[in-house]
Amino acid sequence: MKRKIGNVLVVGAGIAGIRSALDLAETGYGVVLIDKAEHSGGVLSQLDHQFPTNHCGMCRMLPLVERDAGGQFCLRKGLFHDNIEILLGTRVTAVAGEPGRFAVSLRTRPTWVDPQRCTGCGACAPVCPVEVPDAFNAGLGLRRAIYLPVPHQVPNAYTIDPAACTRCGACVSACPCGAVTLSTAERKDFRILVVDDEAIVRQSLQSWLEDEGYAVDSAASGPAALEALEKAEYQLMLSDIKMAGMDGVELLRQARALRPDLAVVLMTAYATVETAVAAMKIGALDYLVKPFDPDTLVPMVTRVHEERLAARDRQVEVGAIVLAGGTDYFDPRQQEVNPYGYGRIPAVVTSLEFERIVSGSGPSAGRLVRPHDGRPVRKIAWLQCVGSRDIQCGADFCSSICCMYAVKEAMLAQERGGGDVAATIFYMDMRCFGKSFQRYRDRAEDQGVRFERGRIHSVIPAADSGDPTLRFVGLDGSVRDETFDLVVLALGQRPARGAAELAQMAELPLNPWGFPATSPLSAVRTERPGIVIGGAFAGLRDIGESVILASAASTEAARVLHGAGKSLAAAENEATAFRDVSRQPPRVLVAVCTCGSRILPPGDRTRWVDRLKRDPAVQETIFIDRICTAEGWQALADAISAHPPNRVLIGACHPYVFTRRLRELGRLTRLHPALMDVVDLLGPRMAAAGEGAEAAHDPDSLPRHLAMALARLQKTCRLELEAMPVRRQALVVGGGIAGMTAALAIADCGYPVDLVEAGDRLGGNLPWIGRTLEGHDLLALLQDTAARVGRHPKITVHADTRVRGAFGQAGQFYSTLENTGGVVQTLEHGVVVLATGGGEAATSAYGFGSHPAIFTQKGFQEAWAEGRLDPGALNTVVMIQCVGSREAPRNFCSRVCCPTAIKQALALKQQNPEVAVVVLYRDLMTCGFAETWFTRARRAGIVFVAYGLDDKPKVDAAGPEQPVTVTVTDPVLGRPLTVTADALVLATGIAPGLPADLAAAYGATLDQDGFLAEAESKWRPVDSLAEGVFACGLALGPRNVEESIATAAAAAQRALRILERERLPAAHLTAVVRHGLCARCGRCIEVCPYEARRLDEDLDRILVNPARCQGCGACEAICPNGAAVLNGLGMAQIFGMLDQALA
Amino acid sequence: MALAEETAIDLGAMTQATAALDEIRAMVRPCIQCGTCTGSCPNEFAMDLTPRHMWRLVLLGRTEEVLASRTFSLCSACYLCSLRCPRGLPLTEAMGRLKQLAARRRLPHLRSGNLFYRNFIASVRRHGRVREMEFMSLYFAQMMNPWLPLRYAGMGMRLLRRGKVELRLPSRGSGRLVNLFDKVAEMESRS
Repeated sequence: MKRKIGNVLVVGAGIAGIRSALDLAETGYGVVLIDKAEHSGGVLSQLDHQFPTNHCGMCRMLPLVERDAGGQFCLRKGLFHDNIEILLGTRVTAVAGEPGRFAVSLRTRPTWVDPQRCTGCGACAPVCPVEVPDAFNAGLGLRRAIYLPVPHQVPNAYTIDPAACTRCGACVSACPCGAVTLSTAERKDFRILVVDDEAIVRQSLQSWLEDEGYAVDSAASGPAALEALEKAEYQLMLSDIKMAGMDGVELLRQARALRPDLAVVLMTAYATVETAVAAMKIGALDYLVKPFDPDTLVPMVTRVHEERLAARDRQVEVGAIVLAGGTDYFDPRQQEVNPYGYGRIPAVVTSLEFERIVSGSGPSAGRLVRPHDGRPVRKIAWLQCVGSRDIQCGADFCSSICCMYAVKEAMLAQERGGGDVAATIFYMDMRCFGKSFQRYRDRAEDQGVRFERGRIHSVIPAADSGDPTLRFVGLDGSVRDETFDLVVLALGQRPARGAAELAQMAELPLNPWGFPATSPLSAVRTERPGIVIGGAFAGLRDIGESVILASAASTEAARVLHGAGKSLAAAENEATAFRDVSRQPPRVLVAVCTCGSRILPPGDRTRWVDRLKRDPAVQETIFIDRICTAEGWQALADAISAHPPNRVLIGACHPYVFTRRLRELGRLTRLHPALMDVVDLLGPRMAAAGEGAEAAHDPDSLPRHLAMALARLQKTCRLELEAMPVRRQALVVGGGIAGMTAALAIADCGYPVDLVEAGDRLGGNLPWIGRTLEGHDLLALLQDTAARVGRHPKITVHADTRVRGAFGQAGQFYSTLENTGGVVQTLEHGVVVLATGGGEAATSAYGFGSHPAIFTQKGFQEAWAEGRLDPGALNTVVMIQCVGSREAPRNFCSRVCCPTAIKQALALKQQNPEVAVVVLYRDLMTCGFAETWFTRARRAGIVFVAYGLDDKPKVDAAGPEQPVTVTVTDPVLGRPLTVTADALVLATGIAPGLPADLAAAYGATLDQDGFLAEAESKWRPVDSLAEGVFACGLALGPRNVEESIATAAAAAQRALRILERERLPAAHLTAVVRHGLCARCGRCIEVCPYEARRLDEDLDRILVNPARCQGCGACEAICPNGAAVLNGLGMAQIFGMLDQALA
Repeated sequence: MALAEETAIDLGAMTQATAALDEIRAMVRPCIQCGTCTGSCPNEFAMDLTPRHMWRLVLLGRTEEVLASRTFSLCSACYLCSLRCPRGLPLTEAMGRLKQLAARRRLPHLRSGNLFYRNFIASVRRHGRVREMEFMSLYFAQMMNPWLPLRYAGMGMRLLRRGKVELRLPSRGSGRLVNLFDKVAEMESRS
């Protein structure tokens, strides 16, 4: 293992934070990952289903390189990696320093439950007398004050909600492990002095605070208070301001002189608030306005107390900071008026509540019923744009995610309802702007989801049933009322709570929409070098985009570390020389953790020993109390040293916890960790206890679990695993902005890059695009980037060159380049980034090519730039969107054409205010902040007319000399509009430029539209299925410049994971081939989802690439001869386990 | 007035001859035709064009068609559409401007409503409050329709019975608002 030098702090352990942390950890950096919540996974811990698969799939993000360094477990349950330290319930309190050397203060909220001791048995919750709304179920159920933040988390420790807890102590006595320590003892040490000249105030404060467990004294005047302060030490003084003699402000002054550490909170009537504020300047901590009740006072005192407890914040030194704080949902109750009746009409729920309703871990266990009365839902509606595209609630932006999740939820509802659920989505524009989104939406429509164009302004309860009734206007102008069983509000996004504070702490500005601002043309860099933003923290991204931005942020963080001289050290730890036990008969040491007596009652020991002794491979069975403690672990190490076994089987609790410790144990005892195994005995014990008395008393159940693991372990043998050497050099194909960005990112981290460009110059599409919608100058970007590429010592540019052929695998590729002069050369490289870009799709629709006034968007831009077109001479310009897009065969949205049309229209209006611009569109895709420019365009008088696929615009251009006339039906008026256009601009969308044979040469595949097929569109969005082959920019899918740059940085990050290693170590759980049994039928090659297998014709053998194999076992299942074996899960082992299970 | 539904609208004319409507059009330009206004409008059932339809015509510069409709004259200024419009457009105010525009043009199909308003406000101007007898008499006289008073007779009797209408003769009482009206007119002409 490499020595870690660079450290990164990742703030936020949602999907982006996890991605960023895993990226950096896989690359070899140390990561401190924090989250203010008590669980990792962010909002995704509440979401069970993601489109387009309608499953989860988060596990696809697990490390592919050096898999053994991280637990291969469900990421929704938890994240385990050697290089990642996770601090939950933790927030940043201060940031100081500079790139490469930040000092960050972290404060962890005490949970009062020791996670090392808590086993998640759940004995505490039923005895807790408090019930509060369950945030995990979006408030649909109730939970206790001691609770599991997420029911499926591992290890699953309970936590206490200090705001709800009454400190009754019931959980302390109920906990069998002694894991709960309420801080009442600590509270006794927190001494409070109450100063007021009114006895009634003194008495009530004293009794309120003493009820909370604090030590309270009181004083009736300033001098009396000072006397008390001299006598004893107090941590907090609550003082009135208006008192006879010495007033509160003077008391504050003198008290602070006496006790500088004393926290002082002033109590004041309305009249003297100004005095109190003034007093804060001389050191008062805060003030309370009289009259107040315990609900105001107690949380404030608790906060002061806790801040005192956490006074010793943890300081971490990191080279870079990734802010991945995510976003929050809009709160429909926040609106001045609450037209949707959320909170008033029980059958109006939010989209998050709906996700919980259909979740198996939700309040109705996944049944589609109404939360308030349990009635099955038959008719359900989604209302789009709640808190989005609504200037009235401060959202001049599109939240980008709601259309797609609403489609997904509608499909889920129909699936759950078994065909008799009618789902309707009320929308303004369906923004299906991603690569596969449009087809997904069409699938929903085919399945019977009804799409109704029209914004719902309010929901009213039906007079008889109280069910939500919607009134809406059909396109024909008719006003209709419709009643539904359930109405789901598709909530838009808002900046994360605390985002502004965090930004202020990091000295980052906010953008006009209130999200932390990123630098122009970068979705991750900020004004402050060394602090980068990952995921949706800066606004309005879906999962796939968040994951891309998280990886891009990792690249920037790695770059900062590298620039600060804190790169990875090349020094490798000395490899442990493990004992060779392959020729020995198995001798297994079985160590059982008794965990008090919860796993094993003392009387059962003999029975267990006898049961296990039946297997001659068992050398010894020992019992250790709490093996997880240092003493317990030492006892195990001693036992191994005393009589060295060649296998170790541990029966304890969560196997996830032991991964790292087993490796340490291996180093200590020179027994390879692959020959050790951990069996979870606590889980089955508790599950049995939950099922009832009979199951709980089956005495053979737990020994059976051990015997099964024993059967597997004794037949496990350690193979000398291959490690693939890595050629630490990259090839980037394509010299557009994406290719250049990827090349620079890799080269900046110290690895040589060959950049191949088919044309004679770098820059791709940048020259013709000119400017972005926001007005950023792309020519300047191009000049700057090309100059940096040109002078970078690690980058070799091959212009006028194409890749003619390639072969190889991750770590070692061979590519043949040929330039236009016919010169051929071969490159060796470890990774390849395909940045082959794309161009504007060709068209012959709407008379294109037959008339000089009919342009494509690119042609229009170029004619304008070259002066062939004078905007001042134009009277009327018509733009038609979705030309050949979003319908078969190119049934995807190119997502850049609508913003481009708006950019061109606004520029036309700026140059010639008299020009009339008419945009004919289907759904206007100004996602995210681009919506603001849509508003501007409307305001500028640009006319937008929606058309449908069944009634496309008609263009009449009889000849080059004749005028171009466009006719379209206005959906609102239901009448044809005609316009004679001086220029007709067609938005034809993007066509990818990735040749199928090039992708195939590297083992990657294309999707049906010719873009690279990602390994997984959400979780591995820049990877191809072939490890070591990545794509970015337009080769991956339609994107604007800023997004393309982000994909390039993300692809670079994925490449760096591999380049950072001299060898790619295989994981132990890898498939092998028994060549003697293999008939070369090739079925394993076909079935392997990772393309890890191939037939070597020279050797006449099937070979497995251990760096690609992920140990899924598909080959073992399909092989008719038993020649494909998953190391550690062979047939003998599986059958052995089955025998033991049935014994 | 029935609209010629099949008539094609020539968008080329959008930029011309719409001066009368320009100011109103600028007020509703950010409209996204979502239909919230129509769905909110309590008087929509009586209108010949839905509010969404009418705003669309305003945006396309169809002055004559807009003024030919009764939609704006039926707006009771309840402000629901302004409150709910996701673009935050001043729709009620724009309706008011349309009423003013129509009033200046003395459009025949809005004559009745116009005269009603004019006489109502003239009565307020004279007396500081409305004198129903005077106001209705003048209204009937100007409408020059002998049958019209009969249409109001039933309602008039009911109102009389409940004391809602006084049979007092017009008087020039102390509540005259002439000065106030004149001042406002003067201020408006200045701005």
